[in-house]
Formats: sequence, structure tokens, C-alpha cells
Amino acid sequence: MSKLKLASYWAAACGGCDVAILDINEKIVDVANVADIVFWPIAVDFKYSDVEAYADGYIDVCLFHGAIRNSEGEHIAKLLRQKSKVMVAFGSCAVAGGIPGLANFKRREDIFERVYIESNSTQNPERVFPQTKFAVPEGELELPEFYKDVKCLADVVDVDYFMPGCPPTADQIWAVVQVIASGALPPKGAFVGCSNKTMCDECKRVKTEKKVKKFYRPYEIMIDSEKCLLEQGLTCMGPVTRAGCGNQCTSANLPCRGCYGPVDGVIDQGAKYISALASIVDADTPEEADRIISQIVDPAGTFYRYGLPGSLLRRAK
Amino acid sequence: MVKTDFEPKIIGFLCNWCAYGGADLAGVSRLQYPPNARIIRVMCSGRVDPQFVFKALSDGADGVLVAG
Repeated sequence: MSKLKLASYWAAACGGCDVAILDINEKIVDVANVADIVFWPIAVDFKYSDVEAYADGYIDVCLFHGAIRNSEGEHIAKLLRQKSKVMVAFGSCAVAGGIPGLANFKRREDIFERVYIESNSTQNPERVFPQTKFAVPEGELELPEFYKDVKCLADVVDVDYFMPGCPPTADQIWAVVQVIASGALPPKGAFVGCSNKTMCDECKRVKTEKKVKKFYRPYEIMIDSEKCLLEQGLTCMGPVTRAGCGNQCTSANLPCRGCYGPVDGVIDQGAKYISALASIVDADTPEEADRIISQIVDPAGTFYRYGLPGSLLRRAK
Repeated sequence: MVKTDFEPKIIGFLCNWCAYGGADLAGVSRLQYPPNARIIRVMCSGRVDPQFVFKALSDGADGVLVAG
């Protein structure tokens, strides 16, 4: 059997997914035994023109990380889709928008204003903003267009598999690579490298009756390492988050941040979490409920931290 | 008041045992009410998930009524 042809690309991402792939350590040599890397900007020197020269469907598997923030991301996503047999949305950004997706709480003009005018290290009295085209004596320069909102990979191309996580854990990546190499592919549209249970289901902490009078941020309290974090008043996203990470955050005494996204059948993780919180707030009057809930700092950014573009909210108006 | 042609679409999630019963009674009593309210019966208003509200609004509802 000929070797698998593997591609990987980063659009609007931090590079953590690439690092996660390298975190499989010496097993990367085993990957090299079953697969040829034909495109991977962070590690291997292939150009866009090399990908353009490939025949359609030449790449067996493309691991695409990052959200779609600008026209370059969309262009490469479409190019790789055309050249790849299997397209995997790899990591929270590609699956649901991820951290870059939080930009959807702001408008494009607000972001430009902040970055190119207001930020402390910027002096820009002429109010110069990036242009998609700019004429210089040598010709015309082009920059990708910064889109109005951040999109998920599936908003611009057809995606075969979704692999959530910020980043997906090395163990899960290795498991998925083995499945792909074996040829026993799951049904299209499946979430791979994760479970369809919730984090709470796998969490070993002691859970008793949940009644919360006050919400805290992790630095405000001494966290009990045995007891359920939600019961301690921390906004742990465990009840509404897909398991598969091995409970890394909760094992380290930090509340789950929800990076694996919602389980199958849930379309809006944040709305589900609102529902979960509503049932644990220990209030006798509506005013008390208001007071307790209003202690949560940045609720929208907390409940939709990794999935705003993929949720029902999508963006602020 | 300024007269407009705006006709809001209001999605009502009504509890089978009370609010929906009331709507049903309005029907059998032949009470007239505007057709802007589109009623969805639920077996308990506790069944209403915030997702339903978000979904209704994102699909074009102008308002959501939860009654029960």
C-alpha cells in the first residue's frame, strides 16, 4: 500500500494545534512511516503553488486548524478541500470558531479602531488602516480581506470529520491517525477523537447537591481538589462540554473552559449552560437570583469561549 | 403613535396544563386575537430550553413568550 498523503494548515489559529501534533513526540516517526507530509506550513517548506500543482484528491487527509478570519483562510480552505479526499476540522477554531471567534462580539470597525488607533503602543495620527489593494511604483500590493465576522471551517467548505479541542490532546491525535491509517473511517460528519458523553460524566470529583449562593473566579478561593468545582461556585463548563480531553483542567484544579464544545444534539453550548446554571442557583427571590447570576464575570465570553461563531448567537449585531 | 405595517411574529411556548389550556379556552369561547402569536405547546414550561428561545429569535421571531 502506498503511503498516506497528509496535509495540515493553519488559518486563524495560534499554532497550538501544530504543537499538539508534535506533542505525540517520538510517535511522529511512526506517522512518517505511514504517511508522507505534503503540506504543513509550520514544519515543512511547501508553498501554496505546490498545493495548486497537486491533482484534485491527491491529498488523502487534510488536518485543517484555525477559524476563517480573512479571504486567505477561505481561499486555502477551498483549495485544500479540492485537493483532499478527507477534510478534518482540527481543533476548536476550525470546528466552532475557537478563541479567534470571540472577535464576533465586536464589529470589524471596532477591532480596527482598537488595533490600529487605540492600542497603547500605536501612533497612527493619519489613521492608516490595512487596504486589500495598494499601488506602489513596483506594481500593486495585495492583502487578504479581513472579514466582517469569524467563520468556522464548515461555513466555507464541506467538512468530513470534526476533531474538537483546544488543542486536541496528543493521545487523541495519535488514536485518530491510527484509525485513518487503518482505513476504517467513521461515518461522514462524525466527531472524532472525543467521546459523546459530558465532562461531568467522566469527572472523578465528588458530586453532591448543587446549590450555589456565590460565584467565584479561580483565584478568589482556595479550591478543594476533591469536590465538584461547580459546587464550589466556579463556572465549570463540565455539564455542557464533550468529554475526551482526559479531564485535564479539572484534574489541575481548574474549571473546564468548554473547549471540546457541546455534545451531539446540542446546537448552543452557552444556552445549555445558562439552563444548567439556572438549576443550581440557590435563590429564594428573583432579586437574589439576579444578584447571584450577576457575579459571573463576562458570562458571554465564558459560556461561548470556544464556539461563538458555531453557536446560535454567531455574532453581536 | 406612528402607524406602521410591522406585524411581529411572536412564538409562544405554552404549558399544556395552564397557558395552553387558556389559549384553548379562548378558542372554544370564540375570542378573537391577532394571528401574530404562533403557539407551540410544551408539556411543561420547565421543558423550555434557552436554546428554543435563541433558535426562535435567530430564525426570525420578533418576540418569544414563555407562559405556564
